[in-house]
Amino acid sequence: MSIVSRRMLLAGSAAVLAAPRVALAQGEKPKVTVISQWSAGSDGLAITTLGKRFEQEGGVWEHNPVPGFTTEMMNKLRAQIIAGDPPAVSQLKGPEIAAWSKVGAVVDLDAQVKDAGYEAVVPVELARLSKPYGAWIALPIQAYRINTLFVSKKAADRVGVSKLPVTWAEFNAIAERMKAAGITPVANGGLKWDDGMKWEIALCGVSPDAYRAAVMQLDDKALKGPEVLAAFGQLRKLSEWSDPGAPGQHYSTFLARFMNGEMGMLLMGGWAQGVFKHAGFQPSDYLIGPAPQDDGKVAFDLNSDEFIFWQKKEPEYREGQKLLAKIVMAKDFGPMYCAITGSIPVRTDTDLSTEGFSDGQREAARAMAEAVQANRVVLSLAHNMAQPNQIAAAMIDVLTEYVHDGRISPEEGQKRLAAAVDNAR
Amino acid sequence: MSWRDRWGRVLPHLAIWPPIVISCGYVLGFSAWTIWVSFTRSTLMPDYAWAGLRNYSSMLATNNWRIACVNLLIYGACFVVFAMTIGLLLAVLIDQRIRAENIYRAIFLYPLAVSFVVTGTVWGWLLNPSIGVQKLMHDLGWTSFRFEWLIDPNMAIYAVVIAGVWQAAGFAMALLLAGLRSVDVDLLKAAQIDGAGPVRTYLRVIFPAIGPVLIAVVVMLLQFAIKTYDLVAALTGGGPGLSSTLPTLVIYDFMFQRGELARGSAAAVMLLGSLAIVLVPYGLYRLWRRRAASAHA
Repeated sequence: MSIVSRRMLLAGSAAVLAAPRVALAQGEKPKVTVISQWSAGSDGLAITTLGKRFEQEGGVWEHNPVPGFTTEMMNKLRAQIIAGDPPAVSQLKGPEIAAWSKVGAVVDLDAQVKDAGYEAVVPVELARLSKPYGAWIALPIQAYRINTLFVSKKAADRVGVSKLPVTWAEFNAIAERMKAAGITPVANGGLKWDDGMKWEIALCGVSPDAYRAAVMQLDDKALKGPEVLAAFGQLRKLSEWSDPGAPGQHYSTFLARFMNGEMGMLLMGGWAQGVFKHAGFQPSDYLIGPAPQDDGKVAFDLNSDEFIFWQKKEPEYREGQKLLAKIVMAKDFGPMYCAITGSIPVRTDTDLSTEGFSDGQREAARAMAEAVQANRVVLSLAHNMAQPNQIAAAMIDVLTEYVHDGRISPEEGQKRLAAAVDNAR
Repeated sequence: MSWRDRWGRVLPHLAIWPPIVISCGYVLGFSAWTIWVSFTRSTLMPDYAWAGLRNYSSMLATNNWRIACVNLLIYGACFVVFAMTIGLLLAVLIDQRIRAENIYRAIFLYPLAVSFVVTGTVWGWLLNPSIGVQKLMHDLGWTSFRFEWLIDPNMAIYAVVIAGVWQAAGFAMALLLAGLRSVDVDLLKAAQIDGAGPVRTYLRVIFPAIGPVLIAVVVMLLQFAIKTYDLVAALTGGGPGLSSTLPTLVIYDFMFQRGELARGSAAAVMLLGSLAIVLVPYGLYRLWRRRAASAHA
């Protein structure tokens, strides 16, 4: 679709909003249909809670979760858009917001966002993703720090570690000690996204600037540079310290072994807190904080979930979308939703001192605010924030092959990554 | 002609044509659509701007497709050879007029009743060194025992072969057993009178007599192998890394996970072409046999 018709589309949707409000018929309630991948666990609980809130405010809530990967949710979304019956709201994130807004008509949220004074209180990276062509078409609901390190308390006690490693060298020294003590140092799984994520955490820890150039801007020089090579070297270490049975396993398979001290360290996004909490573990069972950062300064590898609003003709859906947007942008949304999932509220003015939040979340939220200030926020590759699916998938293919085949040298891995980017570009 | 006669003449057509039309519509219609899409610039959604052979060349250039094709050759060959061999062996053993034959037949045929996803998941547990057979052996005291095919990038595809053969050998057995039973008793008697032992009878008389059944089973197994998806998806997810991926997984990945409809379609068309490599010679073979048979008559 050309830019001209996109503009026309936006103008059209603005005109629709400007048109006199279509009154709801007597007794009709505002309604939304929502599709997301959040079916169970802490994510399922959080969205159910949101649904209850929506109903309290007088709306009708209909959530159709598509369990599994985000892409499976997208398949349903695609089918519904082709059938001409998109959901009122769906989950979507990163550059996919821009890509999908071209395939279906989306709602222009500019007026409401302006009224709520929302833009001033969210990180600029998220605002940029939410208004890819100038107008707000999506709303961020929660943020996660990807570069987060969890250390099993029991394993840490066994090797006499009481604070988190600051640099990769410190991390590696602790891992060696754990290995000598018979502990499997790394508790990550071996799924594709997990493999990609380990690499991105390594690179972000080596240099956020190199990450921005290599991953977000796909700069050839950066991709072939020394920082990316160092990340491959670190990734090799991480793979050798993982469980031999990790290939194909979800990280949660190792949860019990991690908690009882058989496994040492987990590099995982902040959502693992929600998973731990939901599985009945206490914050005292693990240490949590930023993943190693070689220059010792704050850096934030950002993952965020958003809601995108699809145009519907029926007035009850339009009113429902407005109501949901209002709830999501409100200041008390973060404490309700993020407290359950372990994420960080996207509103930087949220008060995190309430009891629903953990110290881990408070620390991550502080880090986000500081990183925004210092311009040290990068977007996640493995969680489809930095690049559209086809480029991210091509890169992750290289990374996952590298993780599971010890014969590939870091130099060779780097070469393959640069080649994969060239092919996918 | 009475009303009843007329109805009797129409009824078979009514029963046969709608299913044929519907299935042809589906199979041919969607195949044609996929072929069309494979020449377009479609990404997230179908987009009918012409792209020529670009999708084919870019698919052929990907590492994923290359690995998948090599894996399909390995998997297809091993799967057919082992499933045939084991199936034939089981069929011959059961053919010895043993007692409780039905029970054995049910046992060996049972895996076919299990879905590939279940097979994949169960074998995934059995073959996982941390929880499966290797751990069992270690717990029993045989600590040097190694069976790590599932996590070894070089061997993972053979782990898939194990699960696939377990599932399909019983199917081959059932068809081959029916073939063995259909051999003319006079032929067996003649062989007996000529003094042929059991081994010779099988090799020289029975197997040649069931040649068409053997070929039919091979063809069926081959097309099973080519369209394998769920088994690998459940067993290894195509991993470790990409080492056990198959063309079907690559197609799904491109079409539905990466939002590259046109490239995924191009891959699907190439896979369809590989099915033709199996089915067209088989069709020619059958044609040739029919000609030969009518020439003899």
